[in-house]
Amino acid sequence: MRRPTDAERQEWEDNGVLFLENAIVGEDLARLQTTFDRCAAEARREWLEGIAKGTRPAAHFDIPRPLEKDDVFIDLIDHPGWYGFLMDFADEDLILLAPQVRTLPVSPISYVGWHPDVPHTTPLHMKAQIYIEDVPADGGAFGYVPGSHKPDAGACPVVRPLDSMPGHKVYPGKAGDVVLFNSYGWHTSMVNRTLKPRKSIILIYEKWSKDRISTKHFAAIAHKCTTPDRRRLFSLDER
Amino acid sequence: MPIIDSHLHVFEKLSDEFPREVNDQCPADRAETAEKLLEVMAANGVDQAILTQIGGTQLTHHRYLQYCLKTYPNRFRGIGLIPRDEWDAPEDHMDRLAENGDIIGFRINEIGGSADPLSQMDVRTFTSYRIWKHAAKKNYVMWLYIRAKDAHQVAFMVRAFPEIRAVFNHLMICPGEGMFSWDGEGRPHINTPVPPMTRYSMLGLHEYPNICVHLSGQYAFSQEAWPYRDLESWHKTLLAKFGADKLMWATDFPWILEDPGYDKLVQVIDELLPDLNAQQKAEIMGGTAKRVLGFPDVAD
Repeated sequence: MRRPTDAERQEWEDNGVLFLENAIVGEDLARLQTTFDRCAAEARREWLEGIAKGTRPAAHFDIPRPLEKDDVFIDLIDHPGWYGFLMDFADEDLILLAPQVRTLPVSPISYVGWHPDVPHTTPLHMKAQIYIEDVPADGGAFGYVPGSHKPDAGACPVVRPLDSMPGHKVYPGKAGDVVLFNSYGWHTSMVNRTLKPRKSIILIYEKWSKDRISTKHFAAIAHKCTTPDRRRLFSLDER
Repeated sequence: MPIIDSHLHVFEKLSDEFPREVNDQCPADRAETAEKLLEVMAANGVDQAILTQIGGTQLTHHRYLQYCLKTYPNRFRGIGLIPRDEWDAPEDHMDRLAENGDIIGFRINEIGGSADPLSQMDVRTFTSYRIWKHAAKKNYVMWLYIRAKDAHQVAFMVRAFPEIRAVFNHLMICPGEGMFSWDGEGRPHINTPVPPMTRYSMLGLHEYPNICVHLSGQYAFSQEAWPYRDLESWHKTLLAKFGADKLMWATDFPWILEDPGYDKLVQVIDELLPDLNAQQKAEIMGGTAKRVLGFPDVAD
């Protein structure tokens, strides 16, 4: 399992974001890509019906309950390509909040503006965005304002258009690259101006705090989480 | 700054002079006239209004609207409708309605592209394309009450015609299939989550300079009685994203006359956006509509 170097830890602390090239490769990546496409195809009709009813967003397509669909998604949660980084940043006490197995349609606008996910009163909140296919800068790549995660950074301005945010950085990547980011910081999905939907998986983690996640929340996959580390990661036992 | 009610409906009893379609909501003997409207407007300090066509899409169905616009030229501007079977060639219909300059735009409720957001989007294949194209050419306003299945297509059309002034009706909410019903008072009711799921496709439109949003229709979406507190957060979101200079207050007369009453709708912005400064409130209550829709000065 990879652990951050001193330089990487410093970059994380300074910028709130870390780009990991080739975090998942080879057979693991191929299996993930195949499973992603299969599960998306299975869920697509229900998504389209929800769009027509106004009960599901058209701007992004999330596969419902992915952890119950295939073990490949469970294996991502503590994947050695990034799990060691998150454990290190969370002082070895990490829990999963949710996975988002997401396809982002092409659109002239982003589905979300610049925003932080949580206030600083929340325990350290982090996300890992895994690129399933190559994502060019204009293909709905992740955008972040480095340093905006710091408590004294203040709010970022409201900007139009999205790419006029002062100091922001866009993170294009190859399939298998991962962006780790501190969710106190201001971030967005840049506009996907290509002709190809973006496929990525966003894993949402937090430093453990009492009662944040119910022991029943991931009960459906409890039988697949047999090690103490996994049971803790999925909040399966009272603490 | 005038106070402008930027979306409502008037209609006369069915007659040879004023033909219209008849339904449960607008039976043949029901009239909600311009004179009745002007009375309640005067009683509540409202200066001008947008009359949005109701009662049919044919040219003849617009006669009462045209009568009102001609009779009260400095009080009203109109929004017309286009027969669905003329969307392939809507230009003549649009121009004939707009030839006097008082019908300034057209209302549609579908964009007509692929319902699958993962499809390739070519606006030239969308069924409403020629309406948009002609609106761009003639500087007509697009009045939009878009169904949920088309919400993701709007941005493509706006990108193709960024010069068009487009006004999203009724809080930018896009009704979903099977979510429409009539309430106990014979008014439309939309069963939809608020904030709406379509916000992910719509809020980003604030980046385009000619997009406006109506603060109206609360009665149809709220689960509560006036002042519809469950919609307060969504009003604040729209304000934060679009700004007061892109928001327009409206009542959707006559559906609100009995419940909660026109006077209550005049106060609804104070209730749901209590932190507005005077300039912002003036914009929402009429300034935006006057500037964007080109209303004359009331005294003209």
